[in-house]
Amino acid sequence: MRIIIVGAGEVGFHLAKILSQERHDIIVIDKNPLSAERVNDSLDVMVIEGSGSELKTLQRAEASDADMLIAVTTVDEVNFTACMLAGKLGVKKKIIRVNDPHFLADPKGPSPEDFGIDLVIYPEGLAAQEIVRLIRRSAATEVLEFADGRIQLIGIRLDQESSLINKKLKDIVSTYQNLPFRAVAIFRGIRTIIPTGDEVFKKGDQVFVISKTEMVQEMLRLAGKESQRLEKIMILGGSGIGRRVAEQLEDEISIKLLESGKEASSELADALRKTMVIQGEGKDLDLLATEGIIDMDAYIAVTKDEEDNIISCLMAKHLGVKKTIAHVEKLDYLPLANTIGIDALVNKKLSAANAILKFIRKGEIVSVATLHGVDAEVIEMIAQKGSTVTKKPLRAVDFPEGAIIGCVIHNGSVEIPVGATQIKPQDRVVVFTLPKAIRDVEKFFS
Amino acid sequence: MSPKSILAVLAFIILAIGILMASSVLVSLLHDGKDLVPLALSSGASIVAGGALWFVLRKHRNEVGIRDGFVIVSLGWVAASLFGCLPFVLSGAIPSFTDAFFETMSGFTTTGATILTDIEDLPYGILYWRSLTQWIGGLGIILLSVAILPLLGVGGMQLFKAEVPGVTVEKITPRISQTARILWLVYVLLTLLQTLLLLWAGLPLFDAVCHAFTTVSTGGFSTKNASIAYYESPAVEIIIIIFMFLAGVNFTLHYRALKGEFTSYLRDGEFKFYVLLIVGVTVLVFFGIPTLTSSELGWQIRAGLFQVVSIVTTTGYVTADYELWVPAVQLLLLLMMLSGACAGSTAGGIKLVRVIVLLKNGLNQMKALLHPRAVIPVRHNGRTVGQDIIVDVLAFLVLYITLFALATIVMSATGLDMVSAAGSVAATIGNIGPGLGSVGAIDNYAHVPDFGKWVLTFCMLTGRLELFTVLVLFTPSFWRR
Repeated sequence: MRIIIVGAGEVGFHLAKILSQERHDIIVIDKNPLSAERVNDSLDVMVIEGSGSELKTLQRAEASDADMLIAVTTVDEVNFTACMLAGKLGVKKKIIRVNDPHFLADPKGPSPEDFGIDLVIYPEGLAAQEIVRLIRRSAATEVLEFADGRIQLIGIRLDQESSLINKKLKDIVSTYQNLPFRAVAIFRGIRTIIPTGDEVFKKGDQVFVISKTEMVQEMLRLAGKESQRLEKIMILGGSGIGRRVAEQLEDEISIKLLESGKEASSELADALRKTMVIQGEGKDLDLLATEGIIDMDAYIAVTKDEEDNIISCLMAKHLGVKKTIAHVEKLDYLPLANTIGIDALVNKKLSAANAILKFIRKGEIVSVATLHGVDAEVIEMIAQKGSTVTKKPLRAVDFPEGAIIGCVIHNGSVEIPVGATQIKPQDRVVVFTLPKAIRDVEKFFS
Repeated sequence: MSPKSILAVLAFIILAIGILMASSVLVSLLHDGKDLVPLALSSGASIVAGGALWFVLRKHRNEVGIRDGFVIVSLGWVAASLFGCLPFVLSGAIPSFTDAFFETMSGFTTTGATILTDIEDLPYGILYWRSLTQWIGGLGIILLSVAILPLLGVGGMQLFKAEVPGVTVEKITPRISQTARILWLVYVLLTLLQTLLLLWAGLPLFDAVCHAFTTVSTGGFSTKNASIAYYESPAVEIIIIIFMFLAGVNFTLHYRALKGEFTSYLRDGEFKFYVLLIVGVTVLVFFGIPTLTSSELGWQIRAGLFQVVSIVTTTGYVTADYELWVPAVQLLLLLMMLSGACAGSTAGGIKLVRVIVLLKNGLNQMKALLHPRAVIPVRHNGRTVGQDIIVDVLAFLVLYITLFALATIVMSATGLDMVSAAGSVAATIGNIGPGLGSVGAIDNYAHVPDFGKWVLTFCMLTGRLELFTVLVLFTPSFWRR
């Protein structure tokens, strides 16, 4: 596909990187010469310096030949104009990122479809959704759904209590025959490991496991993670993300929302019915103590200042809060979560990019390609007739180092593979792989 | 920097050179076959050496970083020349290794300087290979590798930038390998078209193919001692003038024309400057050629135009001995040797786009003297040229002149007279071929001492890769981590 990406910020850059690796033809437009140069130097894509809201820039990008335009600058109006112009030039699919949740969201006004826009992405809303998912599945550090929710990929941190520590993967598998699961990746320190049967789990590992959704509870118990319901949470920061999280969770959980702005807090108090809004600084330890931070089940820091978020999460952890989640702006910070002891770091830009990737790969079952802070990809392959992988049962296939099969979809039914599983031609297979092994994996399926 | 992944790319280049060399075995078979054994041996050796090394190292495909790009491109050209000179050495056509390496580097860099005194004495296969080196080098060895080796992926851009001439490198398609393939397609089309036209003009197939190879690459190797003058055919000369001219144009413009956008030529400032320069200098040269009789007027115009285009595109064919022309015209030609033709073409030299930027910048400085607070941007093709690019161009010019001056001094020290020393360096850095004085239009480089030949070989490579790529390897900070 020929895809034009307007805006080479973090979202645009990330999208361009992933999509160009997937052999799409990518043209990136950015009016900032520095951003444009950064893309040009590090990615195999075409870069055009100019404004995406100008017709001549889009013409230079030969938009009339493009299949899709993704407008992800930080300015809603520029994104909208780019989509409109692209529509006039005959681009079929248009994706827009908005920063104002009300943009194109008036139920009485024209819908995005009326403007020919196929997908509206609101990054803060997506980040909020992700936090909500993490709160609801409180024991996991990461939850992703595949195959219409029939399969879940969960991230589990192994603490002291876990019975899995110091055990070999293959021993665990043989002990729990009736619990089909697939450990697809271990995140240890700053390294991502694709485990073999001989891999030994260590304390502090973040383990990614694919399992059928109904088995997930069982899985968590095995890992020593009783999935308890969270009853009280505290949110720091009441703009976009914080507000959305409160809106979605206030009916099930008791929420305290800390907001430093005076006017903003009264506005929040007005809009949120059940949430208790407190005006104050997150760094104010006395205030936190007064509001009973020690009794909180989870602490979520989503202010605009990422360093503040990290520090206040560490403070909450120090005071004994079980689960902490922080929002960070820089993608480079994501791998730190494990090291610094915060349960999950969320990044709205990565969430936005993932939502767009999900849309582009519609029809395929892989819903998310990149995990937070983990250097691994989830790709889906269709086994071709006569390909290496279909010839023998899995245990006899010499699968590339650094890659592992997560699940197999055969005639529409999902299967967690074991050593005896035989992949048949036309099966759809979800493979979890380090970037360097992707090419070798492809060879096995073609 | 991983030596193994660098070696893997070099191995691929050697393999590719070996496969291309195999075609000259075929040519030899079709003709006298005298050089069959040395050609087959050289080709086989390159294929086996490159192939084996590639097979062993094929798994080492790390991303090509900034440093690796410079190393791969510079060494790639050296490796190609090392294996490319095997046929000359093994066949005994050029027994000395120094001479053979000089001749091969002169081929790949499309310089066209030769140490051969009697070209027509060489067997057909060797002559064909000599022309083919120029054709391969014209658009670039690395560009060819990128076109057929898409797995260079991201790193391809680093290599692309290090090899393709020009101030800024423009991708015409999203993928670097597609861009490389399109440029090669344009190149092949031009070559085919010229071959057909030369056949029509009455050249034998062998001559037509070899001259098409060395025209579109702006190389200038001929299969005849007297170069194009041998044919004494106005038709041949005119065809070659046209194709030298086309080869000196930015290939991106040809691509756009192929897509139907013919006006893109006229909208390009560099192209317009190129045309005006050729017309203007031809008129000046016309008056500088010693007039013989009025019946030779047509010849005079043609010879003038041919020589100007040949020099400005850095091809280096000759139809007339320009050293018989008045000194002012010779100096004018020397200037043209330095300037070269358009960026993104197969021509060498400083490139006209840099000349344009420098001239405009110079004029702006004068305006700025009168209006100290005025903001006066340098514009090219309707867009402002950034300060960083101007600095880059100035740095390039300073390096070019420094290298030119230093190499000229060294060449004089080896015993060449002043004009020949300057002429030889200008002709090799600019990848033109024939220079002035004792290395002029009807002379060759055979008499240059061995040390001088190595200096000139270095000039050819450095000039072809636009200085920075090679010179950066000699800076201490490149090797410091």
